[in-house]
Order: sequence, then C-alpha cells, then structure tokens
Amino acid sequence: MFTLSAYKRQEPRPWSSCLIVFAAVVISLAVSALMLKLQGKPALHGIELLFQGALGSRWSIEDCLIKAIPIFLCSLGVAIAFRLQIWNIGAEGQFALGAIGATWAALTFSDQPGYIVLPLMFGTAFLGGGLWGLIPALLKLKMRANEIIVTLMLNYIAILFLDYLVYGRWKDPGSFGFPMTKAFSVSAIVPKIGATDVNWGLVLCLVSGVVMYVFFRFTRMGFELKVAGENLNATRYAGLPYVKLVCVVMIFSGALAGWAGLIEASATINRLQPSIMVGYGYTAIVVAWLARLNPLTIGIASFLLAALRVGVENLQLELQVPAAFGGIMEGMILLTVLAGSFFNEFGFRFRRPS
Amino acid sequence: MTGDHPLIRLERLSKAFGPIYANREITLDIHAGKIKSLLGENGAGKSTLMGMLAGRLHPDGGRILIDGRPRLFGSARDAIDEGIGMVYQHFMLVEAMTVAENIFLGHAGGLRLKTEEMERQVADLARDVRLDIDPAARVATLSMGEKQRVEILKLLFRRNRVLIFDEPTAVLTPQEAQQLFEALRRMARQGKAIVFISHKLDEVMALSDEIAVLRKGEIVADMPAAEVQTKEDLARLMVGRAVILQVKRQPQETRQTVLRVQGLNDKPLKDIRLTVRQGEILGLVGVAGNGQKPLVETICGLRRPQTGQVRLMGKDWSHFHSDRRWDGNLSYIPEDRQSLATCRYLSLTDNFLLTTRQGFCRGPWLQRGKAEKRLRELIQDFDIQPPDPRAEARQLSGGNLQKMVLAREFFRRPRLIVAEQPTQGLDIAATEDVWQVLLKARERAGILLVTGDLAEALSLSDRLAVMFNGRIVDTFEADNQSKIDRIGLLMAGVTDQPAEPAPVHVT
Repeated sequence: MFTLSAYKRQEPRPWSSCLIVFAAVVISLAVSALMLKLQGKPALHGIELLFQGALGSRWSIEDCLIKAIPIFLCSLGVAIAFRLQIWNIGAEGQFALGAIGATWAALTFSDQPGYIVLPLMFGTAFLGGGLWGLIPALLKLKMRANEIIVTLMLNYIAILFLDYLVYGRWKDPGSFGFPMTKAFSVSAIVPKIGATDVNWGLVLCLVSGVVMYVFFRFTRMGFELKVAGENLNATRYAGLPYVKLVCVVMIFSGALAGWAGLIEASATINRLQPSIMVGYGYTAIVVAWLARLNPLTIGIASFLLAALRVGVENLQLELQVPAAFGGIMEGMILLTVLAGSFFNEFGFRFRRPS
Repeated sequence: MTGDHPLIRLERLSKAFGPIYANREITLDIHAGKIKSLLGENGAGKSTLMGMLAGRLHPDGGRILIDGRPRLFGSARDAIDEGIGMVYQHFMLVEAMTVAENIFLGHAGGLRLKTEEMERQVADLARDVRLDIDPAARVATLSMGEKQRVEILKLLFRRNRVLIFDEPTAVLTPQEAQQLFEALRRMARQGKAIVFISHKLDEVMALSDEIAVLRKGEIVADMPAAEVQTKEDLARLMVGRAVILQVKRQPQETRQTVLRVQGLNDKPLKDIRLTVRQGEILGLVGVAGNGQKPLVETICGLRRPQTGQVRLMGKDWSHFHSDRRWDGNLSYIPEDRQSLATCRYLSLTDNFLLTTRQGFCRGPWLQRGKAEKRLRELIQDFDIQPPDPRAEARQLSGGNLQKMVLAREFFRRPRLIVAEQPTQGLDIAATEDVWQVLLKARERAGILLVTGDLAEALSLSDRLAVMFNGRIVDTFEADNQSKIDRIGLLMAGVTDQPAEPAPVHVT
C-alpha cells in the first residue's frame, strides 16, 4: 500500500504556473464539452465553434479586442485595490457611474467640438467612478463597514440609478418608449483606430497599464501601497498614511472602471441604455485573480475572457445553448486555476508505510 | 546508572530541510529518572530534534527506539500514546476554561463529567507532585508560571514518562524558575525522564544530570553534568569558539531629555512615569506580559495615549507622531521583527526603505538604486547573510533579520531608541555585536531597553526600572547593589511598601 502525501515546495517552479493555467483551461474546456454532450449537442463541434467564433476571422478578433477594453480597465482598477487587500467587488457599479458621468457631459456639451467634450467626459467619468469608489473606502475607514458588502450593494444602487435616468430624465423623446438616451453627437464618440473597428480605448488600456506598472515600481506612494498591501502591522510600524492610501486607491480603482463605462457608452453603444451593464465589472474580478494582479497578464487574461464571451455568442447562435453557458465556463476556469495553484506551492510524493 | 537500558534511544536520526541538514546523524540516550539538558544556540537544531521525538516531524533517516523497540511516529498522537509529552514555549491552553477542564480536555472517557470529580482528581495529582494550583481557577486569570504548571499537570495526568521542556524559563520570574527546577527534580526522582532544552548555561549547569550539546545540527558533546568544569567550557562547545560575554561600559554624560512619560494610566498601565536622557540606557525589566508592550507601543506611536503625558524630543505625543522626521529621531526595534519591523515577502532593499524612504525620495520618485547602494554598505558593516539586497526578508534567519533591522534603524541616526528584547533568538556572537552597537549608540541617543533577560539589562543599563502588573514598581541606578539583589522579588511584585496607595485618577 502506498500513501500519497503533499509537501510544501521550498521554491515554486517558475514554469509551473503557465502549465497550470494551460491545464486548467483544458480541463474547463473538457468539462464544457461534457456539458454540451449531456444536452445532446455535438461536443467537439461545439468547442470548435467556440474557437471559430472568437478567433476565426478578423472581425471576431476585433470584437474580442473591443470587449477586452472595458474588462481590462475594470480589472486594472480592481487589481490595485486588491493589492492593498481592499476587496473592491464594486467595479460594476463604478462602471455604471462612469458611464453616467460621461453621458452627462456628452449630452450637456453635445454641440462642442471633440477636443472639448471628450476631455470633459473623461473628467466626469473619472469623478463618477472615483467618488463611487470613495464611498466604501470612507465607510470602511470611519465606520469599519466591510467593503465587500458595501461595494456589492452599491452596484445595485448604481444600476438602479442608471435605470432611473434612462427611463426618466434622460430618456430620448424619439425612442418610441425604449429606455435609452439620445445618441451621442459625433464629437462625443471615442473614435476608431484607422480602418479597424477597434476604438482608441485600446491605447488608453496600454497607457494605464504602463502607468500602473511605473507607479508601483518607481514612486514612493507605489512603494507605500506595496507595503500596506503586504503587511498592515509594518504599515503602522513605519507610520505610513494608511487612510490616505486607501482613499487614493479606491478613487483610482473606481475611476478606471468609470473610464471603462465611458468607452462602452461612447464608443460601443453611442448612448446610455440599461443593456450597457453586461457584467464586465464581475468578469474583471475573475481576470484580476487569474492574472495575479499583474498588469501584463491582466491584458492577456482580459483578451481570453473577452474571447470566451464572443465565442459563446457564436455557440448560442449555432447550437442554441443558453446564455448562461458563458458564465458557467468563466466560473469553471477561475475555479480550476485557483485549485491548480495548489500544485504551484505543493508537491506530491508516494510513501510506502514501513 | 549506565547498566540500565535507556528509556528512549535516538539512533543516527537525520532531518533535512531542502539542502540544509537541521539534524545530522543524532544519537542520544534518554534515561528514566534523569534530567537531560539539550544545550544549543538558536538554529542549532534543538527544535527539529524534539519535533521528531514528539511526532510532529518525520525523520529522513535513523530511528527512534523506545524501551529498546523501534517505533515510527506517524503523528503527534502516536508520540502521546507512547508517553512522550512536551511543554512548549507558547502554552496550549484554552483560556476560557478552568484548570481542571484543560487537564481533562481531549482525554476524558465518558460522555458526562462531574466537575467536582475532575477537580478532586486534579487536586490530588497536584498535591502528589507538589505543584500548587487551584483546579477551579480559570486559566485566563493565571500567571505564566501557573499556566506552565497546568501544562505539566496535563502531561503527568496522561501518565507521560518523558517530559520535554522547551526553554521553560523564558516566561518566568527567577523565583518561579527556582520552583520549576525543584518540581523537575522531584519528577525525575519519581522516575520520569526529563528533557530540558535551553541556551542558558547557568540553568543547564544547575539542573542537569546529563548535558548534550548540539551545534549546527550535530551532537558535539554528551556527558554527565559532573564532568563539566566551567561555564566557559560549555559555552565554547556550544558556540565553537571561546566567548567572553562581557562588555565595557564607560560612564557617559547625560544630556537632553528625549523621552518623558508622566501619569500614563491607560489600561493595563498604572501611573507610568519615566524619563530617558541622551547618553543613558534605561533598562526596563520585568516578566513578559506585565505592561511592557502597551507602554512601548504608546511611546512608538502605535497606540494613542488616553491619559497622562508622553513627550518625545520635547514635543507632545500627537505633535511628534503626526510629523515624524525619518532621521535624527526615534527608532523602534520591536521584539516582533518578522511581522512588525519587516515584510516577509519584500526584498531587503524594500525593507530598508520601510523607515528610511523619506531619505531616498526625489519628488514623487523613489530612489531605489541609491538605497540599494547604501544597503550594500550596511550589509557589509553588519555582516548580514545572505549579502544580497534583493533577497526576501523571509530568507533570512532570525539573527540576520535582527541585524538587518538594527542596521536600518541605526542608519537613521536616532536620538531615542526603543529596543525590545533586542538579542532574543540571537546566538552569543551576534548578542555581543548587538550589545556593542547599543553601547556605541548611547553616545548620541537615549535608549529604552525593554528586556526579560536580566543579564542583558545588568550589562548594559545605566538605570533600571522594574515593571510589574502595569506599574513601574521601582527605578534605581545600576550600581545600587542592594536593589539589584532584590530585583527578582521586585519582578514578582514584592515591594518594600506595606500597602500601595491607590492611584488617583483625574480625568
């Protein structure tokens, strides 16, 4: 008889985390295929449709990029909060408030040229998302309210507030009763890059990612954030301004999600309507964990999960699987990767009892 | 009693962690009725060895023989079943339960227990071995010495034949330590095998029947205590070279007052008043847990004083701590170097920047390169291993981490130093270095030395303050021999005054 025992690795193997993510994705795909089979659909063909839908053509890849942009921005925001061990799961609400802020500027200054209205929109989206992020920070610091609950609850408030606006005050009189604002004027739309369908939000992602990397690596405040996220006792010991750090981080965390809302409203839908809320803020949390809070890997993971969304749309069309299938796969990938990270820290060996 | 076969024999026992051998081919006999001391510096492998004996660690090689028969311990439970018990440095007691309940915990046979019956059994046992304790007392209300007695009774109640004590005197007053020694001798006479782990030479010499010395994972000596001639011989065996644990302390002119505490009454502190001037070391001694920690945390800014006055460098507490200069100011060397003074997963450079970051800034930018250069020099000066600024703090041993903290804090050229157990866990050589550094720092700084180690306090301090139960019971010059002779009593709360006046608390 052999017994299997786990032991902790002294040093995690560098290549193993790549292998683990790959294995986790393969396992998730296999389970998904099994689920298709159980529904009486062709399993292998389904997986093929998934890939084809996501990566099969130039348009589908562009579509992936377009969806990856808001996911990336939200995820970056979530990641900086997570680094400080502030569990901001309110990217969805901050995204909504950013979209609302941007819409206000777009509707109010619709007759202004782009170089005026677009910066204004970025400003108001920043304020909307940032302040929505600051609320849970203040509640946490002043009243010790748990930020997980507060950010989650604020998501619902934000979404209802958005509904209130598009059903009421901001409803386009010419929309035949549909809940939506007037279309943005051309000057209030974030333009596309060259002849592609992808908007300039992609460059915003690149810039934000680099800025975040530089900020954490080379500035004093970035260093202070790193310490505060690592060890709260040492933070007090070294006299770091914890209150200030939490507030700053939550403002920027919310503001990044807010900008994602701006891009989505302005570049993708060209107006504000309830269907803007498709859960990017929640996907962002999955992405941030998969990517271990690193800006570069957040980029890769954002693209992959965007591709999953696009691919599942294709699957829905071709095989009539329910829309929830995408969510199930997303959750499965996260769970398998998290479970797989066990192998990163532990090894196994067989022992023969003597 | 060389004719007897040993109760326990460890045969060529080895254990490695990664490439490093913590124990290599250890052979050791433990006899019933004898006190065996295991002497060694921190990191010599004492804990690993006892961990294997207590079933918590698996040997990589060798075997354990009990009554001449080889035994393999799969878990701590197996070792307990063989009658091997251990009293750890950190007690394993449920604070909210009574003494009797703790002793019966996890051991009782039936479903229902009668409180009186349990208490009677415990009282009987305590009387037999003369370990005085009230079986109905809640553990939370007991002193450290009493809690230790509960741990011992727990083992005796389970009819353990081998009792292992891991540095048991660290939390005791000198009087309590004496009582413990008497109890150990009594238990040995009753046929128990006692293993006493320590790095304190005096205790080992006074108590043991046999002494084994462990150095770098190997047994370098194993002999009857009677064969040991002097303490110096033992120290040489333990360290591997001759050591003189003595420092020369020149009297120093005291200057400006850098710390003044008056009427600090925050729970559990009672009417604390003390001053520290530049050029002196004030040794604050006492058994751990008598209010030293809250006092230090208040002074160092981790805890806001609610009563009284705390003035640092002539400024009041909130003024001083709201705008703290990084250099020429306060340095705090905490006892908890692993999670308070450093971050485990950050590099040494980042850990260096923890309290010196203001000195390496240009605008919002952090000058990490410059910091790394300075740190390289400090690593050389303090001989920190590994000498790599990019190593993570967790890769350093306790002693090296402490040197890293000291290097960083002295780099700030402090005028007030609060050093909490600065040599705890350090080997003798490192202790010597730290003492020299502290004495040198005294030339420009005032030092509050909080320590449970009387030898350390007496070697370094210009003045001594004794703390008991939240109160500073006495303060005196270090040359006041009559007070020093009574220091053990003071630590136990015995003062000259027949009755203490109740502190007047004015809000």
